[in-house]
Amino acid sequence: MFELISPLFLSLVVGGTFIGIVFGAIPGMTATMAVAVCLPITYSLGLENGLALLLGLYVGGISGGLVPAILLGIPGTPSSITTTFDGFPLAQRGEGEKALRIGIVASFVGGLISLLVLWLFAPALADFAIKFSYVEKFLIILFALTVMAALSRDMLIGIFSGVLGIFIALIGTYDISDGGNGRYRLIPPGTEYWLDSGFSLLPVLIGLFGLAAILEQAERGVPKGHSKEDLKVGGKSTFSFSIFRGQTLNLIRSSGIGTFVGILPGVGGSAASILAYSNAKTFSKKPEAFGKGEPSGIIASESGNNGLTGGALVPLLSLGIPGDSTTALLIGAFTLQGIQVGPLFIGNNPDTWNAMIFAMLVANIAMLMMMYVAIRYFALVVTVPKHILFPVILMMCVIGAYTINYGIMFDVWTLLIFGIAGWVFVKLRLEVAPFIIGFILGPSAEVYFVKSLESFGTLGIFFTKSWIAMVLWVLIIGSVAGSVLLSRRQAARDRAAG
Amino acid sequence: MIRNSLLTAVSAAAITVAGAATFAQELPRNVRLVIGSTSTGGDTYQNSSIVADALAEHLGINVKVDAVGASEAFKALGRDSRGTTLMIFHDQSYLGNLYGREGYSDPFANYTVGPTVAINPGNAYLVSCDSPYQTMEDILGAAENGERVRVAIQPGGVSEIGFSAMKNAASVRSPGSEENLVAVNTGSQSDKNQAMWDDLADVINGSIQANEQFTQLPEDDEKCMRFVWITARSATLEQAPEAGMGDTTRDDLLQYAAPNVEVTLDGEQNFTFDKEFFFLFNPEMDPAIIEQVDTALSEIFAAGEIQERQKASFFIPNYLSIEDAQAHLMDKRDTYGEVIQQISGGS
Repeated sequence: MFELISPLFLSLVVGGTFIGIVFGAIPGMTATMAVAVCLPITYSLGLENGLALLLGLYVGGISGGLVPAILLGIPGTPSSITTTFDGFPLAQRGEGEKALRIGIVASFVGGLISLLVLWLFAPALADFAIKFSYVEKFLIILFALTVMAALSRDMLIGIFSGVLGIFIALIGTYDISDGGNGRYRLIPPGTEYWLDSGFSLLPVLIGLFGLAAILEQAERGVPKGHSKEDLKVGGKSTFSFSIFRGQTLNLIRSSGIGTFVGILPGVGGSAASILAYSNAKTFSKKPEAFGKGEPSGIIASESGNNGLTGGALVPLLSLGIPGDSTTALLIGAFTLQGIQVGPLFIGNNPDTWNAMIFAMLVANIAMLMMMYVAIRYFALVVTVPKHILFPVILMMCVIGAYTINYGIMFDVWTLLIFGIAGWVFVKLRLEVAPFIIGFILGPSAEVYFVKSLESFGTLGIFFTKSWIAMVLWVLIIGSVAGSVLLSRRQAARDRAAG
Repeated sequence: MIRNSLLTAVSAAAITVAGAATFAQELPRNVRLVIGSTSTGGDTYQNSSIVADALAEHLGINVKVDAVGASEAFKALGRDSRGTTLMIFHDQSYLGNLYGREGYSDPFANYTVGPTVAINPGNAYLVSCDSPYQTMEDILGAAENGERVRVAIQPGGVSEIGFSAMKNAASVRSPGSEENLVAVNTGSQSDKNQAMWDDLADVINGSIQANEQFTQLPEDDEKCMRFVWITARSATLEQAPEAGMGDTTRDDLLQYAAPNVEVTLDGEQNFTFDKEFFFLFNPEMDPAIIEQVDTALSEIFAAGEIQERQKASFFIPNYLSIEDAQAHLMDKRDTYGEVIQQISGGS
C-alpha cells in the first residue's frame, strides 16, 4: 500500500478536499458537482491517484455545505438542510464562528466513525444491506418523513406543507429507471416540454432557502451587514469544547444513522441528516430549543451527513452499487480505468482498498485543519454589506442551478419559480422545512411504496415482512408520538406565557 | 480615399467568405456532446468520453461530454443545428420509440443517425446459483410446462428487448407458453439484483461488467449468480480481449451466447442483440459538418489507437460510416420491431 502513497497522492487528497470545501461552500454547488467536474481528469492520473482526488472532493464537498447553511441560511448541499435550522439562528446572533466550529468538529467525528465502520465491517454490512427490500426502504423513508411533524411550528400546517412538497416532487415522468411505467403524471397540459423530468432538487432548494430569503429581505428594506464588533469571533468566540460534553451519545447515534443510511442504496443522502436531526430532537432533554440555535441540532446534522461518506462506500465497494449520488460518480473513476467494482473488489484489490481508506482518513484530517483555520474568515462573510452580498449570492445560485444538470435552462426558471414560491409561502404561513423534506423524500417514498405493493400485492406486507420492518414501525410510532407530545407541551407553554 | 474604401471592401469580403466557409464546413471550436444517460459511471459516458477525447485531439477542438439524459439530450440536439451540440446514444434511442416510451420519437425520422463507434457486448441474463433454472433451455422448457418464470427488467428499452426475445422464442417453440414469462419491472441494476435476492424474480437482466463478480462467489453465498444468456453475437464477443472480464475468460463468455445458447428468432436463426453506440445529429445541421465528423472518425479508427482504449474498457470497436451505420441500424430496428410486434400481437 505504502508504495501507492506518494507526495502526489497526498497532494491530490488535500487539494481535492480544498476544492470540495469551496464547491460545498458555494450555494448551488455540491460535492456531486465537484466530483463530476474532476472525473475526466482522473483517467490520466491512474486509479489510486484519481480516487485520492475524488475522495478528497467528496469529503470536502459534503463538509463545505455547512458554511452557507450556517452563515447564510442556504444549505450548500441538500444534506445540510438540517444544519440551517440551528446554525443560521446562531449566526444571526453573531455566533457564526461558534456554530461553524461545532459543525466542523461534528463533521470530523462523523467522518471518522463511518470510516472505521467501512474499514472494519464493509462486506458484512453489505450482506446486511441486502436484507432491506422495497418494504424496509419505504419504512425508512416514512420514518424520515415523520420528522416533518417535529420540525413544524404548527403541526397541521407543517404536515400540509410536507404533503404539498411530496405532491410537487411527483410532477414529471414516472421514470423507468425507477421501475416506473415511463408515463407523464401531474403535468399541466402544454408544459410537457419543460416538466417531463419534473423539478430538480437543487434549484428548488436554493430557490426556497436562498432566493426567497433575498426577496423577503428586499421587501423589508435591505439590512446592514453585521459589524465586526457585533461578531463573537476570535477572542470573543463563545465556542469551547465543553459544548460537546454530554453529546457523546448524540455524536455516535447521528454518525451511526448517517453510516447506516449510506449503506442502503437508494435511500438518499439527505435522509441521513434528517433522520439524525429528528432523533436528536426526540431524545433531547430540551427539544423546544431545536430550531433556535441548539448546538445538539448542528452536531446531529453534521455528524449524520459526514457519517454518510463512509457508509455510502460500503455498497459501492462490496456490491458495486453506489450508496448515494456522489458515489455513483466514483464508479466512473473505476470504469474509466477498466476496474470492476463488485463483491470481489476488496479481496482482489487490497492495495487500492487500503489506499482509499487512507485517502478518506487524510481527507477528514485535512478538512478539519483547513476549515478550522479558515473559520474566522468565513465568519466575516456576514459583515459584507447586503447590497453586495445578495447579488453575489443570487449570481452563484443561478450559476449553480444552471450547471447542476450540465446546462439545463429550465433549472434556472425552477430556481426563480421556487424563490417566489418560498416568498409567498411565508405570506401564507406555509412552512418551508417540511415542504423541502417532503420534496426530497416523496419520490423515493412513492417508488418503494408502489414497488412493495406490486411485489407482494398486499398492504399487510408492511407489517409482516420482517423483524426489521417491525423495528422500523416502533421507531415511526415513537417519532410521531414524540412529535405530538412535544407539540402539546409547546402549546401548553405558549398558553401559560399568555 | 478610394484605395482605403477598396481595401475595406476587399477585407470585408474576405472575412465574410472565410467566415462563411468556416461556418459551412467546420465544427465549432467548442462542441457539447450530450449523451442519453444521466450517469457518469455508465457505459454511455465511458464510451462517449473515449470518442470525445479522440475527436478533440484529432480536430484540435474542445469536446465536452454532458450526461444530461435522453429527454434533455434530444431537446438540446433539436434546438441546435450549428454543430455545437452533437449526441451519442445507443439502441435505446429507437427501442424507446418502438416500446412507445414518452419522449422518444423516431430517431430515423426526426434526427440524422450518424456513424457507429462501439459495441458493449455485455447485455446478459442471470439466475441465482440455487435456481432450478440453470440454462435458457430450462427457462423456456419451464414456460412450456406451464411454470411461471419471473424476469426482472427495466421496461421500455435495451433491458426489455432480450425479454421480448425470450417471449418470442417461447411463442415460436410452443405458442401460448410466452404467457408464462412474466416481466418484473424494476429500475437500476441494484434493483434487479435485489429483486433476485428477495426472491421476487427468477431471472434478471444484467451485464457482464456489473454482474461477473457475483458469478464468482461461492455457491452457498446468497448473492451468487450464474449467467444463462449473453445476447451479443458470438462474432462480437470473439473480438473481446481473450482474458474476458474478471475471472471469466472470453471462451467462458462464449458458452452463454448464440449458438451455444439458443433463443430462437423464427425457428431457424437465433436472436442476438449487440448494444451499439452511435452519433445522432440535428436534421438541419450542415451536411459538411456531419461529413467532417464522419471523416475524422474514419481517420481516428484507421490510426488504430482508439481501439486499444475501447478494448481496455471492454468495448468492441465498431466504426461504421454514416451510410453503412444508417442501413445497419434501420435493419436492426426493423428486426426488433417485428419481435416486439409479434409479442404485442400475441399477448
